[in-house]
Amino acid sequence: MSEVQPAPRAHEVQVGPAGPSLRVVPDTWRPVRPLGEGVLADPAQGEGFDTELVLRARVQETHDVVSLVLEPASSNAFAFRPGQFLTLGVDVDGQRVERCYTISSPPTRPHLLRVTVKRVEGGGLSPYLHDRLAVGDRLHAAGPLGGFTVTEHPAARYLLLSAGSGITPTLATLRTMSDLAELEDGALDVVVVHSARTPDDLVGRDELEHLAAAHEGLRVVWVCEDDPPGRPGAWTGWRGRLDAEILLAAVPDATGREVLTCGPPGYMAGVRAVLAEVGADPACCHEESFVLGAPGAPAAHEAAPARESVPEVVPGARVRFGRSDREVVCPPGTTVLAAAQQAGVRLPSSCSAGLCGTCKSTLLAGRVDMVHQGGIRPREIAQDKFLPCCSTPDGDIVVDA
Amino acid sequence: MTITRPAPDLRPARPARPAGSDAARLLELLDSRPPAHSLPGPCYTDPALHEADLSLVWQRQWLFVGTVAEVPEAGDFLTVDIGTASVVVLRDDDEQVRALRNVCRHRGSRLVTGSHGCVGNIVCGYHHWTYGTDGRLLHAPQLPPTTDTGALGLRPVHLREVAGLLFVCLADDPPADIEHVARVVAPYVAPHQLGRTKVAAQVDLVEDGNWKLTMENNRECYHCDGHPELRCTFFPTWGLSDDQVPERMRADHDRYLAALADLERRSDELGLPHGLVEDLVDRPLGFRVQREPLDGAGESFSPDGTRLVRRLLGDLPEARLGRLGLHTQPNAWFHFQADHVVTFAALPLAVDRTLVRTTWLVHEDAVEGVDYEVDELTATWRATNEQDAAFVAGTQSGVADPGYLPGPYSEAEEQVEAFVAWYDARVREAVAR
Repeated sequence: MSEVQPAPRAHEVQVGPAGPSLRVVPDTWRPVRPLGEGVLADPAQGEGFDTELVLRARVQETHDVVSLVLEPASSNAFAFRPGQFLTLGVDVDGQRVERCYTISSPPTRPHLLRVTVKRVEGGGLSPYLHDRLAVGDRLHAAGPLGGFTVTEHPAARYLLLSAGSGITPTLATLRTMSDLAELEDGALDVVVVHSARTPDDLVGRDELEHLAAAHEGLRVVWVCEDDPPGRPGAWTGWRGRLDAEILLAAVPDATGREVLTCGPPGYMAGVRAVLAEVGADPACCHEESFVLGAPGAPAAHEAAPARESVPEVVPGARVRFGRSDREVVCPPGTTVLAAAQQAGVRLPSSCSAGLCGTCKSTLLAGRVDMVHQGGIRPREIAQDKFLPCCSTPDGDIVVDA
Repeated sequence: MTITRPAPDLRPARPARPAGSDAARLLELLDSRPPAHSLPGPCYTDPALHEADLSLVWQRQWLFVGTVAEVPEAGDFLTVDIGTASVVVLRDDDEQVRALRNVCRHRGSRLVTGSHGCVGNIVCGYHHWTYGTDGRLLHAPQLPPTTDTGALGLRPVHLREVAGLLFVCLADDPPADIEHVARVVAPYVAPHQLGRTKVAAQVDLVEDGNWKLTMENNRECYHCDGHPELRCTFFPTWGLSDDQVPERMRADHDRYLAALADLERRSDELGLPHGLVEDLVDRPLGFRVQREPLDGAGESFSPDGTRLVRRLLGDLPEARLGRLGLHTQPNAWFHFQADHVVTFAALPLAVDRTLVRTTWLVHEDAVEGVDYEVDELTATWRATNEQDAAFVAGTQSGVADPGYLPGPYSEAEEQVEAFVAWYDARVREAVAR
């Protein structure tokens, strides 16, 4: 990779000839600070949420994406950061199913939570959420989880790259920025490049284009692979898969931006190569990875569940399965069983609630936090047995599985 | 002592009545037995009459299944098979010992396997129906939401603990006289503090004989010449009254009487009950209990009668306390010494096969290899059981022989007669119900 000088920062304006190096800082300059600093409640300071939610409304976003508007059973506000996700738990046919979804609503609207769910045929939860969950139904949510958020990466200029339902953190982020008036003149400079299969698959298109039209600091670029089947009128925007040519043409100053990428594993791998090709600073590039969280998780929507970890920026413990020779990153709040499933390690399991002990395994190294319901005995725990279905790693662990 | 009373069950199972012809045939055979003679051959060999035994005796009486030392911690279980019935005895999270049918309420699969083990909750291996240690159904995947899981708990089995000995009864309405037996027997057993023991060894031996032959063989020492290891510590005149002792055994008997007097005196000083209580025939839980001296050093079942375990049981102050012998009809006998306890449970596997489960208990703090050696501890009864198994197998082939005719019991075989009389009485009671 060649050394590429980053483009000058927007607030560093060179004035006049190169005389004595005099730098004039425009009035609009202000120090880079985390988005929403001093305004957004810090979820790290709170207790998080672990609560029953009631479905208040359903919003059909596209032909196969629905947003669920969720109201807490008890009237508390939620503290989280844009881009964070939660774990939804639903009893489907007597079986507890848990999946992770990015919160698509902004933390500036803290009284209702919204998740945006793409239907995955054969998925564990999304068909249920699409077809059977009705207004008034209850489900369980725990969170917030994850560190894929612009608040973790303070910058003046962002490039938000996404594909498919990887747009959900982008939705939360832009809604937050707009609510905080961070897209007004001279504040943040944000470019969104979103890839989809067809224009009909663009989630939040009207809203984002409206935001872009209203704010000079926001530009939205759509990239579609195909025209919608059986629909007249060809797509006139960017076409194909995101590559270096498209990226540089659409966002010439891409390398000077803090880059956050979210999408299916194949897309993320492609973006990684593109960013390397255009010479982006790896330190400025961040990826969301629902390495765990299961097949319904946002980044895995359009492809098979991620089998390989992309752990660069995923916070959480490393979970190694010794016999299977596999390793995944387990974000906070994700069970070891979910980690195993995501890694393709099949552990027998049934209740997913620490009752039946079917998934009982041996912990070879590290510690877990386990909340069981009688499925294991103290002396078994003393022999390093644990129940992956109700355990979260407390640091890196190695499991005999 | 605790009693576990199972909750009323919605669909109590009545043991299947044997076909009238089998019960009638059994009664005819019992009628045909001359007094104090062994039973007619078909009583030991006929599969249909064995089924009658299971339903008329084994599904109605209190049966010894093990001790609290076999289920020391919450989640520990033992299983016993009684004919085709299987019972799981386990200690639940409230430290209560319970007994449950080892049958899943879904499609009947066996729940736990193996003679002993430990569970968190009880999980059926077939479809993962999960029950608490109290038998409640906790989890049944994909059951329709309308299903009343409260009615799908494991079916309870009556269980009664007597000073650490665990008895179960498969009947809906178990014989009540266990309360009386417990009152009599518990003071004898209690000083050995089974709740503070651990299993040092357990051996399951299958005897090739009908369960009644196993019990009959155990009830007499007429054959004890065939037990050289046991003879070291068992007085040769065991079971004989003074006037029954043959002249050649007079010296042995005098030695026994002297040891008995000595033991009785010392037991009185220590407050240990020792007198013989025998009620073998008339009550459903027939029993016999007595503290008796052992030959030699009088302490334990070792070649010279000295103790086999350095750490004594409970708070017993000395080793030379002989043997507290206990026998319960239909399936158990016990020897409690100061240093260890041996329990024996006989369980029918087939008309001609019987499981004899022998368990050696020592103080929970006794350390193997330091306070005792398992091989030494178990040597006498391993040898004796093997010898008995051979005697029983020999008798089984003999009573199956067309040439077999019931023979008369000797004076030393009073307890054999008492056992057969007990069996006769229980069968008649059951048939009359």
